[in-house]
This record gives sequence, C-alpha cells and structure tokens, in this order.
Amino acid sequence: MERLSRRALIGLGAGGLLAGCSIAEDPASDSSSGGTVVTVRLWDDTVQRAYEKSFAAFREQNPDIDPRIEMVPWASYWDKLPADVAGGTLPDILWVNSSNFGVYVDSGTFLNISEELPDSIGGWQQTVVEQYTRDGSLWGVPQLSDAIALFVNDDLVGDTDVSNLVWGGADDTFLPVAQALTNRSGARTQYGFNAGYDLQAIFFNFVGSNGGTWQGDAASGDDTYTFGDDQKSVAAMQYVVDLINRDQVSPSAADTNDNGDFSRDQFTQGNMALFQSGTYNLKNVADSAGFGWSIAPALTGPVGRVLVTNGIIAVGNAKTAHKDATLKVLEWLGSAEGAGYIGAEGAAFPAVTEAQQSYLDYWQGEGIDVQPFLDAAAATDVMPAPHGARAQTGQQAADEILKEVFLGRIPVADGMKQAQDAANAAIQE
Amino acid sequence: MRRGPRIGLGIGITYLVLLAGAVLALAPYLLSLLTSLKQPVQLARQATLTWPAPWTGENYANVLGGQYTLLPALVVTVQVVLVLLVGQLVCSVLAAYAFARLEFPGKRLLFGGYLATMMVPQVVTIVPLYVMFAQAGLRNTFWGIVLPTLFGSPFAVYLLREHFRGVPQDLEDAAKLDGCGTLRILRHVVVPLSRPVLATLAVITVVSQWNNFLWPLIITTGPTWQTLTVATANLQSQYNGNWTLVTAATTLAMAPLVALFLLVNRRITESIAVTGFR
Repeated sequence: MERLSRRALIGLGAGGLLAGCSIAEDPASDSSSGGTVVTVRLWDDTVQRAYEKSFAAFREQNPDIDPRIEMVPWASYWDKLPADVAGGTLPDILWVNSSNFGVYVDSGTFLNISEELPDSIGGWQQTVVEQYTRDGSLWGVPQLSDAIALFVNDDLVGDTDVSNLVWGGADDTFLPVAQALTNRSGARTQYGFNAGYDLQAIFFNFVGSNGGTWQGDAASGDDTYTFGDDQKSVAAMQYVVDLINRDQVSPSAADTNDNGDFSRDQFTQGNMALFQSGTYNLKNVADSAGFGWSIAPALTGPVGRVLVTNGIIAVGNAKTAHKDATLKVLEWLGSAEGAGYIGAEGAAFPAVTEAQQSYLDYWQGEGIDVQPFLDAAAATDVMPAPHGARAQTGQQAADEILKEVFLGRIPVADGMKQAQDAANAAIQE
Repeated sequence: MRRGPRIGLGIGITYLVLLAGAVLALAPYLLSLLTSLKQPVQLARQATLTWPAPWTGENYANVLGGQYTLLPALVVTVQVVLVLLVGQLVCSVLAAYAFARLEFPGKRLLFGGYLATMMVPQVVTIVPLYVMFAQAGLRNTFWGIVLPTLFGSPFAVYLLREHFRGVPQDLEDAAKLDGCGTLRILRHVVVPLSRPVLATLAVITVVSQWNNFLWPLIITTGPTWQTLTVATANLQSQYNGNWTLVTAATTLAMAPLVALFLLVNRRITESIAVTGFR
C-alpha cells in the first residue's frame, strides 16, 4: 500500500514537473515582426477574423508597428476589465460599449480622440460619435454599429405588405397584421411578432416612435432616468405589454425575459412571422433559417420611425507605453480601408461611413437586401442609447422591476415609476 | 395478508418518487448530451426536445481537435489540478495536524483567524490579489493560476483537524515510545488512519479546482493558460450561444469527474460515515 502511495505521489510529482508547459500557442505573444507591439482587445471572434486581415494590410504599410489581437470573449469581457484597470494591465486598444464606458472616461482611462485624431471624426457614423461623446469629447474610434429592422418570414407573411407597418392610434396597421399572423390553435404555436423585454430592438423603438424618452439629454450630461414620468414612454410600454399579455401575438414574457435568444430561435424555427432585431442577428438568421425570408423597415409609431443606434468603439489606453503607435492603429481602424474588412466579411456593420457599402455588397452577394439596415443607420432622428458613468448599474436596478411589468405582475405605470426611481437611486449611490 | 398489498403499494409509490427524482436530476445531463449530438442548424430550426437527426459527432470533433479545440485547455486544467491536489493535501495535512496536536502560542487565535477567511467572498479579494500577482509578473502564467490556493484551504484544514483530533492519543503515545518524531507519527500513524477522509478531500479538491472559473478567468489572457471552464465559456459569443459546441465541451469536461466518482465511490461513502461530512 505504501508502495502504491509512493507511486501515486511520484506520478503526481511528475505531473507537477510538467506544470508550467502549455501546448497552446498564444498569438498575442508571437514575435514574428519585431515592430512595436500594439495589443488590441475585442470580444467577437467573427470580427477578429476581419481584423486579422485588416492588420495584415496595416503591417505592409507600417512595418514598424505590429498590432496583435487579444480575444476576450463577451462572457468574460466585463469581469476582466475592472481587474485590468486596477492592475494597470489594460491592452493598448480595446473595445467598449456604451454601458461600460462612462465610468472609465471619468477616471481618465482612455485617450481623448477629439484631441488626438480630430481630422478623422467626420468619416464616422454620427449617431455613434454622439453616443460616445462625453463632456464635449469623443473617447473612441467607432467600429461597429447596430441597426434595427424587421426580419420577415416570407412563407408565413405571404402577400401581406409589411414594409411600412404603423403601430398605435386610429391608424394602427400593425396590430391587425400581427393578430392575423398569430396562430395558437394548433399543436405548434405561431407568433406574429417578438414583443418582449428587449431594450434595443423593441422597447426603444416603441418609446422613441411615440415621442417618449428613456433618460435626460446626454449632450448636456443629464443621465437621469425619465421613462417612468414620461407618459409617452408609459403608453408605449403599455402597448408592448399588451401585445404579449392581452393580444397574445408574442411569446410569453416568462420565455423571453431571461432568454434573449428565444424569439430568434422561434423565428429560425419558422414559428414567428415578424422578428424585429438588429444587424447582430443577421448572420445567425442567414445561417439557420430554412425558409424564405427578407428584411423590412422596423415599425413606425405615432411620431415616425425612431430607433436606437447602438455602436461599439475602440478606445486607446491613456497609459499606453506606445502612444504614437497606438494612435496610428486607431487611425487605421477608423479609416475606410481599415474598417472595410469588417463589412466585407458580413460579420458586422461598420461604423465608419465609407466602409458600410462593403457590408451591403457582401449581403447582396448572398442574395439578401440589407438596405433597411443601412437606412436605419443613416437616420438622424434616433433614440439615444443608455448613457452615463453608471449606466450599467442603473440598468440592472431597473431590470428586475421591468421584467415583472412584462410578466403582467405589476401595472405598467406603477412598474415604470418604480423602475425609474430604482435606476436613479442606483446611479446616485 | 392484508398488509402485503399496502406495503407493496408503499414501495411502489416510493420507487415512483425516487424515479421522478432521478429523472429530474438526470434530465439536464441527457438534454446536454442530446444537444451535443445535433448539428447547429437542427438546434436552430427545431424544438429543443427533438432527437438528433442526423446524429453527429462533429461537435466533439471540433472541441477535441478542430477549430475550437479544447485540448490545450484540458492539459492546463490537468496540470493545475495535479499541482493543487498535491500542494493542498500536503499543506493541509501539516497545518491540520499542527492545529490538532501541537501546542504553540496563539494557536486558537490563528486557527480562528484562518477559518474566518472562509467567510470572505472571493470577489472581495480578487482585485487586490490580481494587482499583487500582476505586479509580481505572474499574470497569464501557470503559477499565477495555482499559487493563491496551493498552500491548502481553510475548509480542508478544518476538516482534517477535526478528524485528527479523533485519532486516539494512545496510538501516538505508543509511536513516541517507539522513538517516532512528530513527522513520523504523522506519516506512519495519523495519515494511514485518515485515508477515507483524505480520499474525500482529494475528490473535493479535484472537483472544485476542475470547476474553478473566476480566478483563472481573471489571471489569464489568451489561449496559452486558459482552463477548461474558461475555454468553454469562451465558446459563446455575444449573439451566438454555440450551444451544440458548449454542450459537447461540458459533456467532455464532466466525464473525468464522473469517472473519478465511480472510482472512489466506496471511499467517499465510507468517509461520510467517518467524518460526518455531507
């Protein structure tokens, strides 16, 4: 027995001796070029492939600079970021979204793009520039932009015209269509539309197109939540909740509240006629749908078609050891040539205006007309995306209450007021 | 004669309840296994509870050696678990014996203080720990992953100390009379008598370190040192769950733990009786 224990210990010790040797290669530590290494962190592996091609072209023009990608997938991205900021181990360039950028801007973590690259700003999508302008300065180079439109199951919709559906008021053309496209009588439920707790694709469209607001004016630095006091926002929310619980043209909130993929899966399974979503789901739908489908403009409301445009930016680390090289890579990422690779892969919609044509071309090559997305991105009457130094905290505070509202457990007006107050209290803490 | 059918009915109901419990417990694993054997298109187009059609091993091929290979992460995880198993067992045995049998000033205070660290959530210490390790140049290294937990855990020390205190003092006294020092008593008397509890502790250490996620996630970057849990989480992108790949990865990641449990099943059952640990 003792011999056995010794053998086991020797085996474990041998395993320990092997410790410290990994069989994986780290692309970020490859030292092939010898130029100044600029690390670039992002979370999307499809855009990563586009970036690799883009950086290969960059290296040909700038052999003294070597941009290297550091992939930190979405699931882990926001957990790592605070530790890297605290530890001083941020990469030279990294992606951030609007919910997680204000607090770092205020703490001086990012380079001021308005000061460093003032000549490039005109070539970027204006709505994304506005989204990431804080205290009068832009803090990143716009990379991706999400635009919202309506995915249409042509087999279910048939000859019905869904190209300009209007919700609300006496001229409501949307609800009758959604009701006609809903079928709950058979063994398989068919949904007309994907109303649900989806801020970006659903809620902001309804609130914005009813003339409502979510927060105060971003440009003047007012991050206060207003949606509970704004009766137009409350009315829009009531309409969306009614689509689920009264009209039953959409899946139950119990299915969609905590599963962001539920409605998309119902659409790709052929169980949903109209699915309002963004460019971020285009590739998923294209890869999965086994029926005829197309893209139509998003819904229009009493004051028009108002959508949120949500972008992703690449920010520069203010404490980078290679500021000039970092700015050169950022400038490249913000150029038509550098960002063109993103659209050319069809992976995402570039926020660099001149590069957006490549996206259109890619999907046209696939037989899909994505013009409604381009039109949505070009719109100037937009609903501002969530903003503020503690936008993520405010959102989390409102989330649980708003989910109860969608479930029909709290009356809409009461719930929105409660959620608004909770969000405002959270950002003040 | 009358009680026979009643007893039979009672047993039948008991088995039905147990069967329902077993189904509820096993259903998620079965669902995961079935999903891992589907093509992504089938998962997207059909309801979740359909059988794979066609059955495919492509997800397993992908996570074993394809584009999404998890083999490097598996090797790293095995290395981490082995080193931590040895480190934690050795250090915990030494510390627990000291707290159980040796007398030194401040013993109770030190033990109480050490146990109190169990009450501090990991998220509270993770950023300071990360800063220390980053400044020590251990970010994204093997030793960066293992060092924080290499020298035992409060739970292990507590468990072993309670067990060591139950070892008859007479045995140790007899060993002393035979000329044994503290270390020899520990090695030749106490440890051999503690095999069941050590087996339990080994299983707990292996399972907890195999499933450890937060620290390896924070301290590593890139594929070189990522563990299985981190690599599996990384299979998901923002708008694509990649569920067929993820379920294949989790099924594979679970297999060694199931095998380990089957291997030491009897020892664990014994140790539950011995230690009262549940």
